[in-house]
Amino acid sequence: MKSALSRRTGSRHQLADAMWGYFFVAPVVIGLAVFYAFPFLQNIYFSFCEVDRFNRSSFIGLDNYREMFSSGELYQSTGNTFLYVLLTVPLGIFLAILVAALLNSKARGQSALRTLYYLPAITMPAAIAMVWKWIYNGNYGVLNEFLKVFGVSGRNWLNESATALIAVAVVGIWSMVGYNMVILLAGMQGISPSYYEAAQIDGAGALACFFHITIPMLSPSIFFVLITSLISGFQVFDTIYMMIGKTSLAYESTQSLVMLFYRNAFDYGYKGYASAVSIYIFVIILLFTLIQFVAQKKWVHYE
Amino acid sequence: MKKIQHINAKILTTALAGLMVLTSACSSSGTAATTGTTAAAGSDSSAAETSAATTTEGDSSASTKLSFMIWDANQQPAMEAMAAAYTKEHPDVSIEIQLTAYKGGEYWTKLEAGMAGGNAPDVFWMNTLHVENYVDADMLAPLDDAVKTAGLDLDQDFPAALASMYKINDQMYGIPKDFDTNAVWYNKELFDAKGVAYPEAGWTWDDMVSLAKQLNDPDNGVYGIAAPLDFQTCYYNTVFAAGGWILNEDKTQSGYNDPKTQEGIQIWIDLINEGLSPSLASLTDTSADAMFESGKLAMIWAGSYMTPEYVGNEVIKDKIDLVELPTYDGNEANVINGLGYSVYSGSKNKEAAEAFAAWMGGTEAMKIQGETGVVISARNDAQQYFAASQPSLNLKAYTDKAAIATALPVSKVASEMYDLEANSLKLAYSGELSLADACAQAAEQSDALLAKMNK
Repeated sequence: MKSALSRRTGSRHQLADAMWGYFFVAPVVIGLAVFYAFPFLQNIYFSFCEVDRFNRSSFIGLDNYREMFSSGELYQSTGNTFLYVLLTVPLGIFLAILVAALLNSKARGQSALRTLYYLPAITMPAAIAMVWKWIYNGNYGVLNEFLKVFGVSGRNWLNESATALIAVAVVGIWSMVGYNMVILLAGMQGISPSYYEAAQIDGAGALACFFHITIPMLSPSIFFVLITSLISGFQVFDTIYMMIGKTSLAYESTQSLVMLFYRNAFDYGYKGYASAVSIYIFVIILLFTLIQFVAQKKWVHYE
Repeated sequence: MKKIQHINAKILTTALAGLMVLTSACSSSGTAATTGTTAAAGSDSSAAETSAATTTEGDSSASTKLSFMIWDANQQPAMEAMAAAYTKEHPDVSIEIQLTAYKGGEYWTKLEAGMAGGNAPDVFWMNTLHVENYVDADMLAPLDDAVKTAGLDLDQDFPAALASMYKINDQMYGIPKDFDTNAVWYNKELFDAKGVAYPEAGWTWDDMVSLAKQLNDPDNGVYGIAAPLDFQTCYYNTVFAAGGWILNEDKTQSGYNDPKTQEGIQIWIDLINEGLSPSLASLTDTSADAMFESGKLAMIWAGSYMTPEYVGNEVIKDKIDLVELPTYDGNEANVINGLGYSVYSGSKNKEAAEAFAAWMGGTEAMKIQGETGVVISARNDAQQYFAASQPSLNLKAYTDKAAIATALPVSKVASEMYDLEANSLKLAYSGELSLADACAQAAEQSDALLAKMNK
């Protein structure tokens, strides 16, 4: 009897505890449900509908997808986006590792340097785009003035199909290095000094230490940075939107998938079609992330 | 295990109930909140707060709250003064002004989200690019009765082309608020430096070209004129003067293939080819406005909305004046566009909102707006105030042309059609395609788009 009672009070305590637990996580869970899960599911539904400006939807099956896959714009934008990812991600990560390794040494003024490198990460993308637009300006831009010193005549960087996407990618790399550098630096500082001591005793040089200790030990951080960079690369929008004008001759060759989505949803009011584009972007990102998670087993070392 | 399941079920129901409460609470204001309004925080639900009791005449104790959404901070003081004048006459009405930025489509996103949730401002600014879509979706209240009650005569009181843009299926969906037309601004200092006489009313396109030749000085970065790829400000005006057209009356066909349309565009491309204007690439990097405002451009075609910007610029404000557009082939033409006041069809105070919107088109309101000098008041009898706001400038070059102006061609797919047009024409401006080929491409795409719209 007594034990039964205590068990019951115990369960009541458990219940109360559990209630409090759920109560405390409720704001986050409800927030996620309302602002992420619900819109996501609704977006999937909208991609099968014709949705007007006022969110009134009528189901049209696969028509949006049919129209999307039969439009040249989709393939052009996909190509541009992949090219952008290819241009920014490998180089951006390589530079971030390099900078992180250099800043990991006990050089003077390294905290000031770290702050400087991190600055782009805390600057508004719109402001970054505006400043770079001036730098690239064909008539008065700093870049062309600089090239003039060497007798090289500049060009309209943002108005030529050959250069515009590269110009935007440079801004992308410049913006991403700081953030990635901080993650990698934290990873480097988590590597136990004993590895390096042991290697030095065995006669390993700085380069050998870097390639045989730093890189493998850093691989979880590199993996993280790779995933986040790929995702943000596939979602590139603001720099392109701000830097490439509609009358630019490079307009078509710089349109990313998110630009395509944006124009259809907000300029033209085709929200259903835009939802289908966003699902397409989602699937691409999902596929690449899955590939990464499978591939990481081959190269990421966890301690 | 069973117990845990029991707890889970209980928690789940509470959580679900909470979720439902939260979502239902959010559905009215949450959509608007996500757009991140710039002003009037927390005012989103004001329409819902107003009681269902409408303004019954003679019942002065009933206070009707109207919400009124605008997008231009520069015009907020004028709008406040107008609202104050109205509520002074109608003490039973109070008006709350909501400012939402136009940039990035924020204004329309918020308005459309509000309408989707059945809770939008009662009165708001409307433009010609959106009005047909909104009417099509039954979001706007016809204002003909209110216009009659207020004693407005749309045909007599406003420029005909402007009023026509808000008349859809023979009903009026916007009280004309203001309008813009185009004129040519010039930099007197550059004219003086070359000893060239300023242009005068009645000048022709050829006069302009010869002036541009005399003023052109590319070695010093100075150009006589600029030919940006700008439909409303530049080439539509000359297309109409040349007898061309962009969109037919039924909005079923585009006019790019008409040789007269192409003639009106080709004369701009010639300016670039003759070196009198910077190239399209150059103008995309450094806009014609930026060049004019830094004293690098002798003449520029500009809409009346550029006036506050130019006269507020310390570098050029004392060196500039303006003249009406040159005639082409003996014809004068000007493109007019303008805003209107519209009323939400789902407004809970529709009658009061309509009365207020109509009043905004009256003499008193238009005078208050006009005297600020920010925009040209739409009423014919109030256009003078804009010209008078800067006595030293020939702003009549804008207001005088409202009577002869042609309405900006718009349709439900106007934004998309402008993009298609720019995508094709830029190839002609840069010399990659002949104008005829570029226009054929624009026509084919636009006609397909119009066919889809009319389906």
